[in-house]
Amino acid sequence: MEHRSLRNACIVATVLVLAFLTFWELRIRSTKVGISYDDGAELWSHYRAKVYLPADQATVFIGSSRNKYDLDLETWEKRTGEKAIQLAFEGTSPVPALHDLANDSLFKGKLMIDVTEGLVLTTSPYNFKAIDGAIAYYKKQTPAQKFSFQVNRVLESQFVFLERDYYSIKALLNRIPLKERPGIQHEPYFPIDFGRITFGRQDKMTDRFVQDTNIQNQVKGIWAYFTKMAMKEPPPPQKSIDSIFTQIAADVKKIKARGGQVLFVRTPSTGPFYMGETMAFPRAQIWDHILQITEAPGIHFSDYPSLAGFQCPEFSHLSPKDAITYTNNLIDIIEAGKWWQFPHKSAGK
Amino acid sequence: MVFNSYTFIVFFLVMMGLYNLPISWKSRKIILLLGSYLFYAAWNPPFILLLWLSTVIDFFVGRALYTQENKAKKKALLVISLIGNLGMLCFFKYGGFLLENFVSLVNALGMDFHPAKPNIILPAGISFYTFTTLCYTIDMYKKESKPVKSLLDFSLFVTFFPHLVAGPIVRPPQLVPQFESPKKATRLQLYQGLFLLSLGLFMKVVLADTFLSGPADTVFSAKAALQTLDAWMGVLAFSGQIFFDFAGYSTCAIGVAACMGFTLPENFRYPYGATGFSDFWRRWHITLSAWLRDYLYIPIGGNRKGPVRTYINLMITMLLGGLWHGANWTFVVWGALHGLYLSIERFIQGMKPNAGLQNAQVAGVSMRLGFVKALFVFFLVNVTWVFFRAPDFTSAWQLLTAMFTQNSKGEIVLSTLQVISVSVIIVGMVLCHWRMRNTSVLATAGKLPSWLLGLVWAILLILLILSQESSGSFIYFQF
Repeated sequence: MEHRSLRNACIVATVLVLAFLTFWELRIRSTKVGISYDDGAELWSHYRAKVYLPADQATVFIGSSRNKYDLDLETWEKRTGEKAIQLAFEGTSPVPALHDLANDSLFKGKLMIDVTEGLVLTTSPYNFKAIDGAIAYYKKQTPAQKFSFQVNRVLESQFVFLERDYYSIKALLNRIPLKERPGIQHEPYFPIDFGRITFGRQDKMTDRFVQDTNIQNQVKGIWAYFTKMAMKEPPPPQKSIDSIFTQIAADVKKIKARGGQVLFVRTPSTGPFYMGETMAFPRAQIWDHILQITEAPGIHFSDYPSLAGFQCPEFSHLSPKDAITYTNNLIDIIEAGKWWQFPHKSAGK
Repeated sequence: MVFNSYTFIVFFLVMMGLYNLPISWKSRKIILLLGSYLFYAAWNPPFILLLWLSTVIDFFVGRALYTQENKAKKKALLVISLIGNLGMLCFFKYGGFLLENFVSLVNALGMDFHPAKPNIILPAGISFYTFTTLCYTIDMYKKESKPVKSLLDFSLFVTFFPHLVAGPIVRPPQLVPQFESPKKATRLQLYQGLFLLSLGLFMKVVLADTFLSGPADTVFSAKAALQTLDAWMGVLAFSGQIFFDFAGYSTCAIGVAACMGFTLPENFRYPYGATGFSDFWRRWHITLSAWLRDYLYIPIGGNRKGPVRTYINLMITMLLGGLWHGANWTFVVWGALHGLYLSIERFIQGMKPNAGLQNAQVAGVSMRLGFVKALFVFFLVNVTWVFFRAPDFTSAWQLLTAMFTQNSKGEIVLSTLQVISVSVIIVGMVLCHWRMRNTSVLATAGKLPSWLLGLVWAILLILLILSQESSGSFIYFQF
């Protein structure tokens, strides 16, 4: 083999790869899709490592997607003068993250826990997979993986096609409509406009999503699918519910014992979704009970007019614009209730 | 660090830059060595100490072994080296396994003994670098090659980052002479290296991780009995996954070394095109097979002590080869099955006149018969993969039952897309192995016109970039 032949092949390959990637990037951008970061264990671990900031410099958020959509991180950081560390994960129980922080003796900061009742009480492995995987990854993360993350961060901030959930080979192939084998069920495919993820791990609906009720209805359909699936499962036995409560109480106690501060928040949901939630998870048995056993303060959106008036486009999460208002109002309520102090706060909203 | 990571890409570019600086050969070797330590430490820095310990002990013991004339002292030195190397391997790799079996044994004898489970982390690549250093000290004992002159060259021989954590397992004569005189990649080597690196990453990231690992994991972790199709698809997916994963790593390693002007030994030669089991082991993980042959099978007698001892030696070699892969009885059974296959093949060959020639060469045998033989070998190798991949015997047995009995009530766990992906890739892989069995990828690539090779290369890279599976570690890192 001659080196010239290989050199020419190398040139051909380089030109073709660059041409294809340019075409692919431009094609995706022509659909008005912007940058979104891969919200996997790597990004979660990046923020998990930051929880050791002193209590007057940061607040940690755990829970599920509602915390990620409803809390506008920029607003929080601007108003409080503190870092907002988002550790929530879509569709997951807050219990493993709480347990992880409770057992980390170096964590002594402020912790806000989003209470989405169905996910707090879940025992389905599906609802633990992402968070358990992220915690395990964080504990075993190697220096090489940390460096790769930093390189990836730079690339992801420039190229839309690097979004794994929508543009990887697997994601593209999974969208081919094939006749499925009996008994095989796929996870519903969320429209891309439903959640674009910032580097701070905030989920944001696109303007197109907020304006287009057809896309919103697709997500409402997915909630209906999940509800149907959940109803097929037997309700969790009282014993497991009790053990979840016991663990939450014990973990909150551990954090408080070393000076940490815990605040529970029930974020808004609306329409049939909220109705279903209130029927399935009566407030007295879940929300009130959690506050009682943990002796921690809590903010339920329905108790505060400034939090209760939002309309979630797909019944469960706030639009980016409402997230800003919600975050401002939430900070006002926290301060008014004197639950937390923000010594570095700025005056204006 | 792993080859399929951004960290490695940056590391490789920096290393290439530094390695090609116009400075002395010794300085460039020091750069290579420090880079190799960084490569290893990027996974878990403290374990670098083990690597140093192993290197220093074997360098000095090796030299003493070569010069020592007193037989008793020579044997004592060899024992020190064996205890040092194998002791470390046993502690880290087999400590938990040995304790678990000891506890089972004493409990079976009626003693109530329940020690705490040891929490031992397996250092990456320990099985590989232990075998690399072991062969050096054994060679020194037998005076089969000369001692390495400098600690720098010996350290580089042990630690050279392309082969450090997952092979190919190199012998001193294969690599040490390459460090003795200044090396710089020719342009041909550089392009070949880059092509092999692209191909290896494609095999690992696209074929093994993106398409095959999912179906294999799903099937091997299934709790319920499966339908026959799902069971077979899972096992076939694993047979492809482990090949593309490991051969992909070796291809990357050979490619990276070539970019710096070094030649590493071939580790895979289209194994699923093998027409017999001895042929298979001349094609699968070639450097381990050769190591086991030269440092275990032949020293314990090989085929020199009659047919019965030959079969026993074959079984011992394959059982230990199985155990090398992992501290679990399932690996032992995997090795035992291969030992059994080899023994049966040898027995059958022994009954035929001049049959020894038939195995490795298809010449003289019709292509069709050869292909049928290759398929039969592939089928039996797949059965062994069940034990290799299954977490325990219950799972292995459940899977084998599903593979060989018609169970219409079994669970369906693989999607249509997964079944199609596995079928296409595995059929393509087997046909490719059969067609390429007597050639090499570089020879084949050399026959293609530049534009076509460029197109193929581009497709590999585009699929690699689009797969976005960047950080999965290689299966053989755990061995």
